[in-house]
Amino acid sequence: MAGLLAVSPALDGAVRPTKLDYELHTLDNGLTVILSEDHSTPIVHLQMVYHVGSKNERPGRTGFAHLFEHMMFKGSQNVASDSHLTLISRVGGDGNAYTTEDTTTFLQTVPSSYLPLVLWLEADRMATLRIDEQTFEAERQVVQEERRWRYEDSPFGLLSEIMYDHAYAVHPYKHSVIGSMADLEAASVEDVQAFFDTYYVPENATLVLVGDFDAAQALAHIRLYFGRVPKAKRPVPRDIPREPLPTSERRVTLTQSENWPLPAVIVAHHITYDGHPDAYPLHIAAKVLSDGQSSRIYRRLVYEDQLAVSAFGDRLLIEDPNLFYAVSIVQPGRTPAESEAALIEELDRLKTDFISDRELQQAKNQFARDYVFGRATIEQKASHLSHAAVIHDDVSTVDAEFDIFMNVTREDVRRVARTYFTPENRLTLTILPAPPAGRSFLRPGDDQ
Amino acid sequence: MRRGSLSTCGAGTAGLLLCLTATALAQQPVDWPRESPPPPLPWRQATFPPYEIRTLDNGLQVVVVMHHEQPAVNLRLIIGAGSAYDPAGKNGVAAFTGALLDQGTTGRTATEIADAIDSIGGILDVGAGTDLSFVNVLVMTDSFEFGLDLVAESARNPSFERAELERQRQQVLSGFQVSLDDPEYLASVVLSRLLYGFHPYGMPSNGTPESVRQITRDDLLAFHAEHYAPNNALLAIVGDIDAESAFAAAERAFGGWTPRTSAAEPPAGRIPEPTRRVVVIDKPGSLQTAIRVGHIALSRTSPDYLPFDVAIKILGGEGGNRLGSVLRTERALTYSASAEISSGRYGGDFIGKTDTRTEATVEALRLMVGEVGRLRRERVSRRELENARAYLAGNFPLTIETPNAIAAQVLESLVYGLDLDDLPTYPNRINAVTVEDIRRVARTYLRPDRLAIVLVGEARVFVNDLRRAGFGDVEVLSVGELDLSSPDLRR
Repeated sequence: MAGLLAVSPALDGAVRPTKLDYELHTLDNGLTVILSEDHSTPIVHLQMVYHVGSKNERPGRTGFAHLFEHMMFKGSQNVASDSHLTLISRVGGDGNAYTTEDTTTFLQTVPSSYLPLVLWLEADRMATLRIDEQTFEAERQVVQEERRWRYEDSPFGLLSEIMYDHAYAVHPYKHSVIGSMADLEAASVEDVQAFFDTYYVPENATLVLVGDFDAAQALAHIRLYFGRVPKAKRPVPRDIPREPLPTSERRVTLTQSENWPLPAVIVAHHITYDGHPDAYPLHIAAKVLSDGQSSRIYRRLVYEDQLAVSAFGDRLLIEDPNLFYAVSIVQPGRTPAESEAALIEELDRLKTDFISDRELQQAKNQFARDYVFGRATIEQKASHLSHAAVIHDDVSTVDAEFDIFMNVTREDVRRVARTYFTPENRLTLTILPAPPAGRSFLRPGDDQ
Repeated sequence: MRRGSLSTCGAGTAGLLLCLTATALAQQPVDWPRESPPPPLPWRQATFPPYEIRTLDNGLQVVVVMHHEQPAVNLRLIIGAGSAYDPAGKNGVAAFTGALLDQGTTGRTATEIADAIDSIGGILDVGAGTDLSFVNVLVMTDSFEFGLDLVAESARNPSFERAELERQRQQVLSGFQVSLDDPEYLASVVLSRLLYGFHPYGMPSNGTPESVRQITRDDLLAFHAEHYAPNNALLAIVGDIDAESAFAAAERAFGGWTPRTSAAEPPAGRIPEPTRRVVVIDKPGSLQTAIRVGHIALSRTSPDYLPFDVAIKILGGEGGNRLGSVLRTERALTYSASAEISSGRYGGDFIGKTDTRTEATVEALRLMVGEVGRLRRERVSRRELENARAYLAGNFPLTIETPNAIAAQVLESLVYGLDLDDLPTYPNRINAVTVEDIRRVARTYLRPDRLAIVLVGEARVFVNDLRRAGFGDVEVLSVGELDLSSPDLRR
């Protein structure tokens, strides 16, 4: 416990987290397999990541990848509709799935003796998903309810969708993962089948196991159940349109009639993709702006000037170039213009001045903390492994990125700020609530 | 050659439907075996990980859970009082007291505290719930002593500067503007108010716009003086540390904290008997209605807590969930339908919840209330109970994966005075629950005719149908009229 004696901890260098041990295999049909033994608790986590997300959707069929994710629970040759999760819960396990712009992920954690069951279940639906009109129609309605609940009826729920719609012209990041109501309505069972045949193939999938198993035995089970899934007949298409760089500053003001209680200001810039050398200093910049109460945007806009109820700068670094966005929810009595000026000023400061050595070390310490606390569970470990393998196409980045972060300099941070935080690359979006005019309140006994 | 038939599909519109059918039939590879799920591997027993508990001379209970995989330590201080102890008319005092713990102490300003914790990459989190207030700190192992000192300083010596109080008040009041547009918030606070009446459990922890304006610095000082004491607190030290070092550090940081001489009186106010009451919060423009139903059930210390929890999981939780089966799987009325129990020191409740498209409001509500009735009326099947037990007992190893999850279970037992020896035997206790137990607790605690019902949505679309469906007196009010401190909920 030598660390206990440290007087001024962690200002000279971040703690180094424990590395992950894993092995990597590829089956003949193209399935990528990553195995990481962890015997601390007798449980195992299986994560199946299909490299398909909302950015693979065609115009007019937005929301389809996510809708399809729901269909994966609707039964296969040996599994009845809606019984996948029942079979998991009956052994004490938890299962779920989620869809992002880039991937669709199916996860389950079970007591370790049930590893064969979850492998068998995943293989059965990968090979023989049952698709029929009736379950598809029902699931479409469920997803429409999800859209209403998560986004449309929730305060500021559409903020992200509005921002991306304005920020992008042609790249599918323009639309949200949940998709539009009209497109959800238009999707057909034929689309479901085509999507399954195209993307739910072994070569487009990465299977990650983390937990209490013997790697050799697990691999034997994997070969048994997944080895018999046929190889794809054609390569997975990767024809995603590229977004042209914006050439002039854009400013948009609009009004939202529902669920928009306070004005919001967004200042967004196009940035690069995850894994690009500029990505790491951009992560650091986001931490300097918004990680903790001492961060620049919080302290200035929320604490000192009280311009905002909430304000932050964040980056979405994913497979294709995305956005760095600063957001302010405007404090009643203050103006959107004040927030806009303050946000832009804070971004500009990163271009004119170096961040301090202390800020740089702080951001690295915060990064190390995220790294450590973000790997507490076997599910979290599996997510880091699958992200490295699928998005970086290099599983070794799961640990190697730590050193890249630790080597970021103040010069790097200023350089990326100067590269990306330019006026011509900027979208400023002000979204105002509708004026509180004449809303009628219903009284008991009113005629309707 | 079913697969071959695919290629014969032509372009004509009339042929398309047939073609689709053929596709649906043809998708399965011919050589995929028909088989049952594989048998499990040999069972590996999960054992509740070791932890140590000691009590300092001043009454502070200290729990240490050791875990050395990563070089980090989590510190959690729990104070045994939350919004349940808010003074009458001053709802929000516990929450303000909690929120200001890191906004200045007698030794450091809010800014200095933020700089200190952020610079080492730590996280400091403070606040209050219903029964408890808390200070949590996450640090790397090499900052353990620093983190512990910060926990002690925040809990023992907050300064409650007036400027910070005003800043907090402004934030909370602005936050209400957002919350009052949030159906989830509205449904939840109105239902709590119906369930608990004017007992402090019935009011939002954050207070109301009216009560928050009344809170003074003296209120915070008084709350702190009365409740923040070592003999009303628990400290958990979790992670990459050995027990002796942890206890020694706890003694150093907290040993000089003076205990209080008498325990606080239980909160004033009586929890009313369940009464059927239907309240609609009209929110024009809503696409969905937030539906919440529930009534008072039992406190955390009730001997029936475990079987009742299983019963409610059959109704709407993991391993069961009749509500999910009916409302989502069968009827596609919602993304999510669930039920849960929530039990505190002085009482508890069960609630069912779902959100559905406006026009399906009454149908969803009837189904939900119907399922509560069926659980009381009909014996659950052996198989349904077995599934629920299998999930809850089998899930046990997943609940002890992280040292924080272990600490949370130990702390909960200590807070509510439960038997710590029960923690490792959870699977056995679950497996001992019988169909008769479920029948008994369902009959004892479920009162479908006395459910409180809250609907937040576009009232004009469903209110008449609601009355026609037999939901009796329906109170409809706008968000602007809502006043939780008034008996009829209106200002």
